Amino acid sequence: MKALEWIGWIVLTLVIAFVVHVASVRYLPHAIMHIAMDKMGAVNEIHHGRRVDEASRGVVRPSPDLLYSSCPFDLSKGTLEVKAPVPPGTYWSVSAFDTETNNFFALNDRQIGGQPLELILLPTHGGQEPAMHIAGQLVVRAPTERGLILFRTLINDDRNFATIDAIRRQATCALQGGARGGTSSGG
Amino acid sequence: MNVFWKALAALVIGTVLGLGLTWFAIFRGAMPGGVSDGSWKTNLLIGSAGGDMATRASVAVHGLLALNRSETVYYTAGTDSAGDKLDGACTYRIAGRDPATRWWSITAYASDDYLIPNPAHRYSVSKTSVVHEADGTFAAIVSPKAAARNWIATAGKPYSLTLRLYNPDPSVVRDPAHAALPSITKEGCP
Repeated sequence: MKALEWIGWIVLTLVIAFVVHVASVRYLPHAIMHIAMDKMGAVNEIHHGRRVDEASRGVVRPSPDLLYSSCPFDLSKGTLEVKAPVPPGTYWSVSAFDTETNNFFALNDRQIGGQPLELILLPTHGGQEPAMHIAGQLVVRAPTERGLILFRTLINDDRNFATIDAIRRQATCALQGGARGGTSSGG
Repeated sequence: MNVFWKALAALVIGTVLGLGLTWFAIFRGAMPGGVSDGSWKTNLLIGSAGGDMATRASVAVHGLLALNRSETVYYTAGTDSAGDKLDGACTYRIAGRDPATRWWSITAYASDDYLIPNPAHRYSVSKTSVVHEADGTFAAIVSPKAAARNWIATAGKPYSLTLRLYNPDPSVVRDPAHAALPSITKEGCP
């Protein structure tokens, strides 16, 4: 009887271990993305990272040859409008990630063909095309309301750093109509 | 021991076991979907959507904010071309031709996955920064000792290398295990 009781407790312990394991694996991408977004700064605003060096500890394995700009987004209060000039003669890309860390959209300088980026980000509604052009604007549907937009610009030559940095800092990212998702204002 | 204490013990031990299993499976364990090309290893799932729950967690831990492989292929090397673990005290020569891609870079990372502190800020070499030989080949030196050119600084501690191929040739995207990538040869140790 005593042995049976102990077996019961051991089985219960293993069941708890299994449930905790499955739950933690399931929740891990969400938690990691949440931490990364928090490190980037306020939602629905663009944040220009400084040049990457040994003190850059926001996201693992950053490239010292790239300049990163990010815009954590929260579409619960509206539609996000992203605009950015594309620096000539170097690699540039914009990519978007959902809260499960999936890269659901990417576009580079060659694909955009030298045109400035004008992108509208909407929450998805089942079955719709993830990306399409409407009246000259690129409309992308995000699988989750929250997520992150990331710009990468290659510093192809140190002598071009100031020019490339100035161009990438012209990018904007805001909710349409000027509302912000992060905090409420008094008036 | 009454029932309360037994239940509490089961909860604590079960939670620790469950989290420990996650730690070993996701953080320490090898990621599913890996392929090797000499010393260089890549993962076909990085940057992709979908996959099972464990794969998603691995991608989040090991390839956070990475691009999909038609945009960028990321290779990592923790060993030299002879298969020996990279030693932070030794000097290595990375030699070859430009891989089939629009732009590439090779960067050294400490075991915490961040750049290796060095006063010269020599973290990487790239297609545009490396000095090529007249025949189009290049040789980079990975070492704690300064090299005259194409130097990637290490600090005597464990590290790994990441090779990034931006806008890779379709042949690399299709078959990343057979891309022509530079070799990593140990030149000497103190």
